[in-house]
Amino acid sequence: MNDISVGIKKVLFVFLLLFIVVISYVAYFEVYVAPKIVNNTDNKRLWAKRNEVLRGTIYDRNKNALTKSSRVNTLTQKREYTGGAVFAHVLGYVNPSYGITGLESKYDQYLMGANDMSIVQYLKEFIANKGSVKKEDKKGNDLITTLDSDVQKQAYNLLSNTGQKGAVVALNPKTGEILAMVSAPSFNPNDSELTAQWKSISTDKSRPLLNRAVSGLYPPGSTFKTVTAISALENISGVMNQTFNDTGGIRFNSKYALNNFGGEVLGSINLKQAYIHSSNQIFGTLGLTLGNGKLKKTAEDFYFNKDIPSDGIVIDKSRFPTYDSSEPGNIAQSAIGQSQDLATPMQMALVASTIANDGVMMKPYLVNSVISSTGNTIMTYKPESIGNVTTPEIAATMKEFMRGVVTDGTGGNADISGLNVCGKTGTADHQDTSNARPHSWFIGFAPMENPKIAVAVIVEDGGQGGIQAAKIAAGVIKTSLSK
Amino acid sequence: MDSIKEEKRLLRVTYLFCIISFFNIFLIKTPFDNVALIIGGIICILMGYSNFIVRRFFPDGDKYILIFACILSNIGMVMIYRLKPSDAIKQIIFFVVGIVIFILIVVILPELKKYVKFRYIFLVLTLVFISMPTLLGAADVNGSQNWVHFGGFSFQPSEFAKLFLIAYLASAFSKYKNFKQLIEPAFIVMVSLGFMVLQKDLGSALIFFAISVTMLYICTGKFKYVLICLLLFSAGAFISYKLFGHVRLRVMIWQDPWPYKTNQSYQVVQSMYSIAWGGLFGTGLGLGYPGFVPINDSDFIFASISEEMGVLMGFAIMILYFLLFYRCMRAALFAEDKFSRLLAVGYSAMIGAQVLVIVGGVTNMIPLTGITLPLVSYGGTSMIITFMALGILQKISEGGR
Repeated sequence: MNDISVGIKKVLFVFLLLFIVVISYVAYFEVYVAPKIVNNTDNKRLWAKRNEVLRGTIYDRNKNALTKSSRVNTLTQKREYTGGAVFAHVLGYVNPSYGITGLESKYDQYLMGANDMSIVQYLKEFIANKGSVKKEDKKGNDLITTLDSDVQKQAYNLLSNTGQKGAVVALNPKTGEILAMVSAPSFNPNDSELTAQWKSISTDKSRPLLNRAVSGLYPPGSTFKTVTAISALENISGVMNQTFNDTGGIRFNSKYALNNFGGEVLGSINLKQAYIHSSNQIFGTLGLTLGNGKLKKTAEDFYFNKDIPSDGIVIDKSRFPTYDSSEPGNIAQSAIGQSQDLATPMQMALVASTIANDGVMMKPYLVNSVISSTGNTIMTYKPESIGNVTTPEIAATMKEFMRGVVTDGTGGNADISGLNVCGKTGTADHQDTSNARPHSWFIGFAPMENPKIAVAVIVEDGGQGGIQAAKIAAGVIKTSLSK
Repeated sequence: MDSIKEEKRLLRVTYLFCIISFFNIFLIKTPFDNVALIIGGIICILMGYSNFIVRRFFPDGDKYILIFACILSNIGMVMIYRLKPSDAIKQIIFFVVGIVIFILIVVILPELKKYVKFRYIFLVLTLVFISMPTLLGAADVNGSQNWVHFGGFSFQPSEFAKLFLIAYLASAFSKYKNFKQLIEPAFIVMVSLGFMVLQKDLGSALIFFAISVTMLYICTGKFKYVLICLLLFSAGAFISYKLFGHVRLRVMIWQDPWPYKTNQSYQVVQSMYSIAWGGLFGTGLGLGYPGFVPINDSDFIFASISEEMGVLMGFAIMILYFLLFYRCMRAALFAEDKFSRLLAVGYSAMIGAQVLVIVGGVTNMIPLTGITLPLVSYGGTSMIITFMALGILQKISEGGR
């Protein structure tokens, strides 16, 4: 009998040990394993928590709704993008399978942030509803963006009508507000379409998911002569009065030569004429006179090789190369936006915008204000300067130059009577595919006296800048200013 | 006198817990859920009344067994009501039936030692119940074939088989003199385990084994038998691993559940997310997402409770089970005859092993096997079986005083 009591005690002890082991394991799980797994993408709780709040609406600058969210059931909601493919890149999408992109991602915290109800208000509603304030009633904050739907649509239509890939950026030069940002090809960000087409759009060679306006890196071509001209005006005294002899090209050695577009010979000209007619020879020579260091400094003043401060978007770094003085060919090429120069359309829009704003670069931003679901303003964005890139005098000179491009030079197609459009064309060679046509570029702003819009347009493989890109720029400017 | 005071204090805290948790449920529903308050009240009255009867008419027994059982059932009913109110009402009915059976066993059953002679009746009943799903062709429920349907009524025969197997083993082992008396029960246990594996009910197999070994050790007091059993079990486990795909699958999921999280290991991964999400203190009742976990009010109720009430509540449940287990084993210590003693040890081990296997399973500490958390999980069979076992333990505890 007695030995059985001993046995029972031993069994009790073994079970106690086993219970302690299990409890310890659960504790270990909670401390070491849980933090690692809880944010796994297939943990449905992450989206369920997000869906407790009905996502806020994104408006354009005139309070036209660009998105619409509605409840499907307690834990799911439907997000509709009323603009479809037109706004796909700038707004992005929010999708349980494919994640969050664009502005949706940048302003996620605001859009899914619950309302600003005070505790007293909450208790009042709690008792009035005879229960907790319904989860379904929680609404996220709304965003009033800087986008102008009309400009955006016009830019999208003109660009997609070309059938080419490309991008359009339109800014308010005085504030940095992004009026339009378009990338082609685009895609339909609405839930069912995105799911249906995901496989094709995520593998397509034309990369429809890429936002070319901020992530497309292109050789800027002759539009970069704007930066070279500013560098020359800043660094070479008396350059305005200098006369250059354009013979159609320069030859560095048996391998390297730099020729004017179409082999044009411009003869005896000054800086303004060289800019207006886009002389590769003269600007290549200016690049050599300046040297890589000075030109690079001016380019970096424009935020080449640097992260451009911005709000609501992510801009890829544009690049300006470093060359030794023993590489005159590359230095000359880099002065006309070729060689290893790479710029995003947003970068080039900022170049135009800075000249339009008398040399002051404004931080590009996408959201004017955040409004709670009850109508209170939670945040208002104030325009912010990100640098005095050049002097007002040089900016004024450049305005004259750019006006000349449209009236007497390569940019005639951008002219709109009565609006005094200023601009610069670019025809950028590239080796994306062999024998490809060059990219067609145009940067500019209008009106000259009181600039209200600055644009950058690129049409990939679009040929001469003065044709496709200039026409799109004119259309966008016209839509914006005709109001 | 002191002991009565302690019991009453514990009961008062239990009522308080019951009222607070159902008041919490009342608040989280829109509009306020009056039914929750009524149910909370009913549960309090039930617990109070049953404890009153046991204390009043059977003052010699161990009152803590019933109190712990009530606390655990109460936690379960709160969680089930939050997950699925209609199931909670059924669960209350099961709870009432369970308590009635508990009291009936204590009142009606004559002295237990008389039952020692029914050894072969227990043996036959064990085999009948254990083979029932295999012979009748049971439907597949959550991957196991251990349910039997009679018209609109369905139950798990293995649960009843457990009760009778313990009774049989207690009866057989009580005649133990030397090794020869162990051959017959060993054979019966092996046959039972074989049926369990065939029905893909690996959890029950593990529990059957744990119960048998515990009883064997208590009976013989010889550690070498335990060792032999473990070796035999390992060999059996290895053979079934080689023979059966479903056994290999369980082990594969246990080793690394992540690559199969969308299909084979979906359940355990969801359960792990659930426990991880709750953290130490939980999200609060009604504020988590236990709805994402499959079978969240039965096999995975531990995960649901941990998510909303926190892992601390999970620890509390484990401690309560251990205390219950301790009180049950204590009854064995005071029992006079060998049969009652072995019976008490068997039923205690049954409850303890079940808790260890399912809690270890939902956290992926051991391969997950679908069994219920006794008293807490939703389910009539489990609830009634557990109260039957507790009733017998209560009876034994009475005889001991």
